[in-house]
Amino acid sequence: MTEMAAVEIAKAEDQKPRPFGAGYKLIGKDYSTNDLVAKVTGTAKYAEDFRAEGMLFCRLALSPMPHGRVKRINAEKALAMPGVRGILTPDEVPGHANYVNDNGTMIKADRFSELALADEPMYQGEPILAVAAVDELTCAEAIEQIEIEMEPLPFNTDPLDSLRPGSANAREEGNVWVPNAAPSRDSHLEAVKWTDDDFAVEKEGKMPMGHAPEEWSYGDVDAGFRNAALVLDETFSTEDVSHQCLEPRTTMAYWQNGKLYLYTGTQSTMQTVPAIARWMHMPEDKVVFVSEYTGGGFGSKITGAQTLVIPALLSKKLNAPVMMRISREEEHFIGRARPGIRARTKVGFARDGRITALDMFLVSDAGSYGSNGDGGACAQITSLLYQPPAMRWRNITVATNTLPRSAQSAPGGMQAIAIVEPILSKAARKLGLDQVALRRVNCPEGKAEFGPPRPDGKRGYVTSCFLKQALDEGARQFNWDARVARQPKRVGSKVRGLGVALSTYHGGTSGFDGLLVVTPEGRVQIYSGIGNLGTEAFIDVHRAAAEVLDVPWEAVDIIWGDTSKNLPYSCHSGGSQTIHAMTRAGHAVGLECVQRLKEVAAKSLGGEAADYEVANLRVARKGGGAGMSFAQAAQAAIKLGGIYDGHDVNPQVNGYTKHSVAQLAGTGLVASARDTFPHDGDSFSFLACFAEVETDVETGKYTITDYLGYADVGTVIHPAALGGQILGRSTLGIAHAIGQKWVIDPQYGVTVAERFYQNKPPTILDVPVDMKWNALNIPDPETPVGARGCGEPPVGGGCSAILNALSDALGDNIYQRVPVNCDTILTSFEAGRPMQNPLLAHI
Amino acid sequence: MRLIQWVTDPWGQHVPAHIAWGLIWVAVIFAMLFMILHALYVAFVSGPRAFAKNTAPMAESDIPEHVPRHSLAARLFHWIMAASMLTLLVTAFLPKMGVRFNWVLYHWIAGVVLTISILFHVIHSSFFLDFWSIWPDRIDLRDAISRSLRFFGKRAPAPRRFAKYPLENKFYHLVIVIAGLAVIGTGLFMMKRIETPIFSRNPYLFSDMTWGLMYVLHGLAGVGLIALVIVHIYMGVRPEKLPITKSMIFGWMSRDFYLEEHDPERWVLDKRNADKPASSRGKRGYAPSDAD
Amino acid sequence: MAVFRDVMPAFDLLQPDSVAEATRLLDQNGAGAWIMAGGLDSFDWLKDRIKKPQVLVDLSGIGELKGIRVSSDGVEIGAMTTLTEIADHPAIQKNYSVLSDAVSVVASPQIRNQGTLGGNVSQDTRCWYYRGGWPCYRAGGNICYADTPVGRNREHAIFGADRCVAVHPSDSAPALIALDAKFVIRSAKGERTVDAEDYFIGPDVDITRLNILGPGDLLTAIRIPAAWSGAKFYFEKIRDRNVWDFPLMNVASAMEVNGGSISRIRIAASAVAPRPMRLRNVEDAVTGKPANASTGEMAGNLAVQGAVPLQFNGYKIPLMRNLVKRAIAGAPEAA
Repeated sequence: MTEMAAVEIAKAEDQKPRPFGAGYKLIGKDYSTNDLVAKVTGTAKYAEDFRAEGMLFCRLALSPMPHGRVKRINAEKALAMPGVRGILTPDEVPGHANYVNDNGTMIKADRFSELALADEPMYQGEPILAVAAVDELTCAEAIEQIEIEMEPLPFNTDPLDSLRPGSANAREEGNVWVPNAAPSRDSHLEAVKWTDDDFAVEKEGKMPMGHAPEEWSYGDVDAGFRNAALVLDETFSTEDVSHQCLEPRTTMAYWQNGKLYLYTGTQSTMQTVPAIARWMHMPEDKVVFVSEYTGGGFGSKITGAQTLVIPALLSKKLNAPVMMRISREEEHFIGRARPGIRARTKVGFARDGRITALDMFLVSDAGSYGSNGDGGACAQITSLLYQPPAMRWRNITVATNTLPRSAQSAPGGMQAIAIVEPILSKAARKLGLDQVALRRVNCPEGKAEFGPPRPDGKRGYVTSCFLKQALDEGARQFNWDARVARQPKRVGSKVRGLGVALSTYHGGTSGFDGLLVVTPEGRVQIYSGIGNLGTEAFIDVHRAAAEVLDVPWEAVDIIWGDTSKNLPYSCHSGGSQTIHAMTRAGHAVGLECVQRLKEVAAKSLGGEAADYEVANLRVARKGGGAGMSFAQAAQAAIKLGGIYDGHDVNPQVNGYTKHSVAQLAGTGLVASARDTFPHDGDSFSFLACFAEVETDVETGKYTITDYLGYADVGTVIHPAALGGQILGRSTLGIAHAIGQKWVIDPQYGVTVAERFYQNKPPTILDVPVDMKWNALNIPDPETPVGARGCGEPPVGGGCSAILNALSDALGDNIYQRVPVNCDTILTSFEAGRPMQNPLLAHI
Repeated sequence: MRLIQWVTDPWGQHVPAHIAWGLIWVAVIFAMLFMILHALYVAFVSGPRAFAKNTAPMAESDIPEHVPRHSLAARLFHWIMAASMLTLLVTAFLPKMGVRFNWVLYHWIAGVVLTISILFHVIHSSFFLDFWSIWPDRIDLRDAISRSLRFFGKRAPAPRRFAKYPLENKFYHLVIVIAGLAVIGTGLFMMKRIETPIFSRNPYLFSDMTWGLMYVLHGLAGVGLIALVIVHIYMGVRPEKLPITKSMIFGWMSRDFYLEEHDPERWVLDKRNADKPASSRGKRGYAPSDAD
Repeated sequence: MAVFRDVMPAFDLLQPDSVAEATRLLDQNGAGAWIMAGGLDSFDWLKDRIKKPQVLVDLSGIGELKGIRVSSDGVEIGAMTTLTEIADHPAIQKNYSVLSDAVSVVASPQIRNQGTLGGNVSQDTRCWYYRGGWPCYRAGGNICYADTPVGRNREHAIFGADRCVAVHPSDSAPALIALDAKFVIRSAKGERTVDAEDYFIGPDVDITRLNILGPGDLLTAIRIPAAWSGAKFYFEKIRDRNVWDFPLMNVASAMEVNGGSISRIRIAASAVAPRPMRLRNVEDAVTGKPANASTGEMAGNLAVQGAVPLQFNGYKIPLMRNLVKRAIAGAPEAA
């Protein structure tokens, strides 16, 4: 650790929690976001609510088998049915091709990537063809008249099974994604099989560890274990969990004057345009994308999904608007999922609970298309959150014929925390330490380091970390010590248990643009290319611009959700980056606007720009004197032209933003700016999560009686929204602990639990009525507003606080996998050892 | 009419599940029609039977009054087989006709009994009885042709009397061997699909298509057996066949019937054992090879 | 032909306004008619296009099928009475609380507002293979996919399996068996009444249905005799989620205790077998015994004798043992 970093730690310890909104007019205050009334009154228009004249409906025929080849499609009977307008088959979908986006970035064709329709489906439920007709009943009846002759191909739905000698591979090319040599960041497929000897340990309930193509390490791992007072070697599996967005990826499309108009819900309005253009093989300026409201994304809709081109292609083919509605079952198949990870983790502890070494071996399920980074992220998060002085990571990412995976809130991080936290709990019990105390000694702080050494030999580090304060404050608010002291733990058949878990994930990116117009009417119109995926952050971030401009929120309009409305280059609402990235961009454009207002005032009223100040919708000389309203300033800006009204553009902004500025030129004072604020280190947010459970050992049923998430997320921008994020994402984590799952019949590789009542996402009654949250509100020193994102970080903590509380109640020999339900508890509690096979997939 | 009930398997492929249950009625109707036509034929069309003279008649004094035909073991086999077959048919098809009861248990137990009895029969008839007596021979076929020609008014030599079993009997045995082996062969594999103490369950022993075809074959043979059994019982109770039926109960037929229907040259009685009880005999020449 | 699992197929919708009209329509349409009560089971089948009836007889307009009638003989509940009405009914809460307890934990509030008692006892099994349209025995095929060496059967039967290992999903059924309820069935031929436990049938008798209703039959009412009014009741449902979940198991009992001894008892469990299972062996064994922990222990052990667990549902054995124990002796906190 550098000397500078040590200084930072000292500073970090001095930091104390602050009241929300201190020193701000807008930031840190609760308010109603601009989209709220429409959402609660039902007037908000989601993709499915749009209509166009002459609109047809299309529906999908899905692959019934996990891997097969379409040999023949006979749609004669279907096409002859009244009302059927046409079908779309895989050969009509644009194939893989290199693509250069408007930013000049070359995206290389990937022959392993997914297309909208497949002639060799890689998973059950993959779309094979689409039928368009005047209504959905006709579509349904037509699909049932289509003969699809398929040849079943070898398949595997269980990653460990795929590594067994002689087992089938998910793809003809192999079963394991192996990274290409640096500097490439791509992977290729190889066939990897472990030996029977590798699998011998399976009988002992331990995960086998054969050849793993990915590995890194730092520190002296062997010495760490040699010097440990306690070494634990644990096998644990996390579950594949579907995103289950409440709004399925329904899409409507039509063509007008050579332009494609496409409506669907995504996590980014602006960044979905290049994705559509790439999948359609068409120029970006011919795409108009509308995404006003999105019913959840969680990482599965970052820039839409390939299926959105189906109505676009059908619309072009049939010369009519086409609406493709997606059912809940179809959403289960095409809606993405978090990869399950099977882990073997060896951790050494000193007597005070300090980790001495950590050795992590992962088998990550890549699903049917492409590799994923969850295994790598799992290691990064582990190294950051528990600060092991020596660590080795090995990983094998296995392709299976299961649903395609994508990022899901805290990808890899959630799994890391679920894997490691129960080991920490076990260690605390074995070493006779308090759970909070053990976490405190391992807690990161300040500019904490993470991951393996980079090519320059240095390890990465974070911008700031105040997790120790969050842990201490959280323990205080949760009455941890009093709860621990409370006796007896067991009354009748009910046993109480307490759990604490640390949690972290990336908290933001940087480098995006802000764009606003002060109109001649004196209003401030802020343009946003962020996706409105349901969190309020997409509005909250613009409070940073309004704060700098010192304008009342009532004078601000937010324009979003339609790329024809001239939106700037914004981050997508994924990876918890929005609050961090876009408050920076908002702050930047606010400053830019203030400067231009002052210049306009100086040019109009005399003096230097520096003589003026901006406040309360006016720009006026400091200390009183001449001034002008925003309306007057906007009118003056239009007269001045050039950089003031958008006829010239800030050269620093992105090409997409430049295009939008050009479209807005002359409409008022047009300000655009790019976030160029420096930051040293990567932004991560942190939480300490606490839970209490009550378990009935006669039924195995447990109730979560209390929960607290205490956050270190920098400056709190919008308390109510932050509370929603902390508790909402904690609940997503809790879902992993208490029940959400996949069930696949391995004989056919076909899912049997595609409905909510079968795959069991949690309900509101599965979490405590009065879940609590809090935040330190200590600003991050490396971002101007001080705010970091909080979408992902609570997920792992939510899951693990429950798991730890369960093992506190019942002991360490209950579970080796999530979810933990009454079947796990009853059988294991009675036997005194974990009775559920930790390695079998999708039970 | 559809012969097979198809289903869509979990991979969306069409595979047979079993026969269309309507075939049960086809079999019943077929058997009924046969009975009616046969009864009409015997009553109105067929004349008295004309056999050629026995070329070397056995001295009548050599023929016992009770000609032994079926040993006790053979009779026991027949009736055990009959009981199990009837149980199998009743347990298989009554539920399909709406009569609800716990049929699977009785069905597979009866199936096991049938299988064991058939195994016994195969060994018994192969090594201890006149194995060939139940299979049609050249004389049977020549006589059948003669009978047919004569029926149509053509000139043909009078057929000989029967050997131990009339040709119809032999044909019946042949058909029932085919149907029986089909139900037993498929039935034994089908026991892998259900919980029994005999086999460990493995419903995935074969592909969906192979299983489907197996169920169809089992069903087709099963409905075939409905018709065969009905016809068999009908024949068994016809007045002119009663002596044969009785012989399956008591083990013997009368000397008169023997001489009237059978050719002592083709069904040679073993004089040495002629007066011994039927159950103690087992030599080629007169002992039974029963499958009717 | 491709399989498609959305959009209701077209059918003739018949909406009779009297039982007589309904039975006439059912008689007229025979096996081609589909009876719909609250629609919560029906719409699943229909929207999945697995069931495609020619005619759907919607009972929601028949007033005489709705309502709770209390008399000195007990209570008669119309088959179309909603579960919410039953859960909230004062007389049922007071005298037959095992039933109000049972129906108040069915699914979710929205489903209870729409779901009916007749529908709850007559619903089809929720075996995920069967509901997924797999051609199993129950669907007319020749295999049980749940009971194979790799079948996923965590929620399946430990008793009464006969080729099919699906379980009955009703929460109200065991409570009605415990109360010795009578089910009133009407058809064009007339009316008949059966005991609650005889309403349900297992796969050994008919693998394609869960109850005795044949074409033309209509369940019109459920009568609860006064015999068990005010008895000591027990109902407990164990499920994964606290709302909107079918039972992993539930146990219901009605018990009379005189001088500390059990003078009579009826006890039943659901989601352990293809039909709601009355535990007669337990009833016989505990009658005359003190209602205490050791009797409960004995009853629990007796209840699970002969249970056959599948690969993933072994937990149902200790669960059933403990629930039956509680039915006799109460939960440990209360003891």
